[in-house]
Amino acid sequence: MTRSRIDVQDLLFGLFLVAVATGTLVATRNLTIGHAADMGPGYMPRVVALALMAFGVFFTGRGLWRAGRGIAPVQLRPLLAILASVGVFALTAERLGLAIASVAAVMLASFATREGRLVETVAFAVVLSGAAVLLFVKLLGLPIPIWPR
Amino acid sequence: MELFDNLLMGLSTALQLNNLIFCLIGVVIGTAIGVLPGIGPIPTVALLLPFTFGLSPASAMIMLAGIFYGAQYGGSTTAILVNVPGETSSVVTCIDGHEMAKQGRAGTALAIAAIASFFAGTMATIVIAVLSVPLSVLALKFTAVEYFSLLVLGLIAAVVLAHGSVAKSLAMVLLGLLLGLVGIDVSSGVARMTFGIAALSDGLDFVPIAMGLFGLGEIIANLERPAERRVVSQSIRSLIPSWKDLRAAFPAVVRGTALGSVLGVLPGGGAALPPFSSYALEKKLARDPSRFGKGAIEGVAGPEAANNAGAQTSFIPLLTLGIPANALMALMIGALMMQGIQPGPQIMTEQPKLVWGVIASMWVGNLMLLVINLPLIGLWVSMLKIPYRLLFPAIVLFCCIGTYGIANSLFNVWLMMGCALIGYFFIKIGVEPAPLLLGLVLGPQLEENFRRAMLIADGDFTVFLSRPISAVILAVVAALLLAMLSPAILRTRKEALAE
Repeated sequence: MTRSRIDVQDLLFGLFLVAVATGTLVATRNLTIGHAADMGPGYMPRVVALALMAFGVFFTGRGLWRAGRGIAPVQLRPLLAILASVGVFALTAERLGLAIASVAAVMLASFATREGRLVETVAFAVVLSGAAVLLFVKLLGLPIPIWPR
Repeated sequence: MELFDNLLMGLSTALQLNNLIFCLIGVVIGTAIGVLPGIGPIPTVALLLPFTFGLSPASAMIMLAGIFYGAQYGGSTTAILVNVPGETSSVVTCIDGHEMAKQGRAGTALAIAAIASFFAGTMATIVIAVLSVPLSVLALKFTAVEYFSLLVLGLIAAVVLAHGSVAKSLAMVLLGLLLGLVGIDVSSGVARMTFGIAALSDGLDFVPIAMGLFGLGEIIANLERPAERRVVSQSIRSLIPSWKDLRAAFPAVVRGTALGSVLGVLPGGGAALPPFSSYALEKKLARDPSRFGKGAIEGVAGPEAANNAGAQTSFIPLLTLGIPANALMALMIGALMMQGIQPGPQIMTEQPKLVWGVIASMWVGNLMLLVINLPLIGLWVSMLKIPYRLLFPAIVLFCCIGTYGIANSLFNVWLMMGCALIGYFFIKIGVEPAPLLLGLVLGPQLEENFRRAMLIADGDFTVFLSRPISAVILAVVAALLLAMLSPAILRTRKEALAE
């Protein structure tokens, strides 16, 4: 962790909260608020969003005001590999079936580290895919196609 | 004796063959994920939730509970042999446990850890049984007003007592509450924050959120750190501790159990706080504190007892009041709701078989764990040899399939992907995601009870203060929050939670 002139952690959290709060207020702008004795659907979301906004402004301000810890540099390889693995599973599971989706997801996830060896990864992916089909479809009865329809 | 009747009723549920099997499955899975660093009980329970649909509520809860306390057992094995905590709760066991292993006393350390855990588990089961009845009697007096105040207390206490910045945790609770509001509003039927997505009208499922935030986010962050797992190649000689060891450990076990039982009940305590407190206590009481850190047996026995007792007594608020003490209990509430059981103060009177069955199963499960852990220790040690590069793709795959399985919806898989990114972001900026999960699970109940209370009181906010039970609860909330502002307490809290 590097020292930093501003508190990057606080600043980012603050901005994140402000963004969420703003988004909520925009998304709920058409909902009736009502009043305490007879609350409309918009009452609670707005109360919570306003509180979040207050927290967001507080953290943003504190982050700019005081020195603090910077954040460790983001390594793209694990991040992208894991996200891509989940994404590929979501894209292929229902169309190509669990067997193929599993192999694809495991292979992509393995790219997250440089330690992997191709042969080992492929073999492991196939084994895992078989185990997943057996466990989830055959044993636990998950309604998902195994092969492409 | 009502207590014995209750326990007998519980045992009759817990000892049914299918429940015994699910208890065994739970504790075996729990031990496995406890042994493996990098997988905690939270993503595991989240992963298995979808598959508990088909089970009876009692079997489901018995299995999921087994995972949680089983993980406490498994975590200590890794701590002792590899000097890496299998679970956060076994961090302190590393200190003296691994030192003992280095001196060739790994077998003794493992045995003491298991025996201490078993003793604590047994005592904690009794504590739960004794405390549950009076608490549930009190709980029956609750209306929406009191329940709302109680939910607030649960949330605030969980934030104050858990580690991390209080302000950030409060913000995370609010974030969770907000996510809990997504979906069709129950009383007006209007869609809120669904952005026109049909899958959102029933609200956000918490399983993809939990798996994304806790499981996948954690994996991504783990992969950024250089691998540093050395597996011990030491053979474990004698597993039977000597009389001298047992005599030295026993007082520490008793103290650890007592401390753990008390701290476990507190929201936010769960399984993390007790072992640290116990270690500090043992060190303070020892005639020769310098032995600690050099393989003191009390330093293993006390914390191990404390973490098991704490893990189990953290079920008390859940089983009697329907309030989760930590993120894992929040998942348990989710499991109950999936089974169509409304968690709340009435749960004990309406579902006595379920509640007492779960309580009795804990003792049965502890007995199983003792058998699973000691003679089969070699099996668990060999599991440690599985390299992380094979482990994490498997976890990612199982998370995908499990998330899909809750509602057979691909939307949930996408949601999990988004939460993985957000979870990684939270880890990067040093924010604990656990309070978010609490807020998410309790959010709908909080809103419903608030609305009902306001209906009863005709929009008069003072109702929360004019009812005695509610006023007392809110006074405790205020005291907790005020205490957080006092610099002296703030400093002690920092010290207590440090490391």
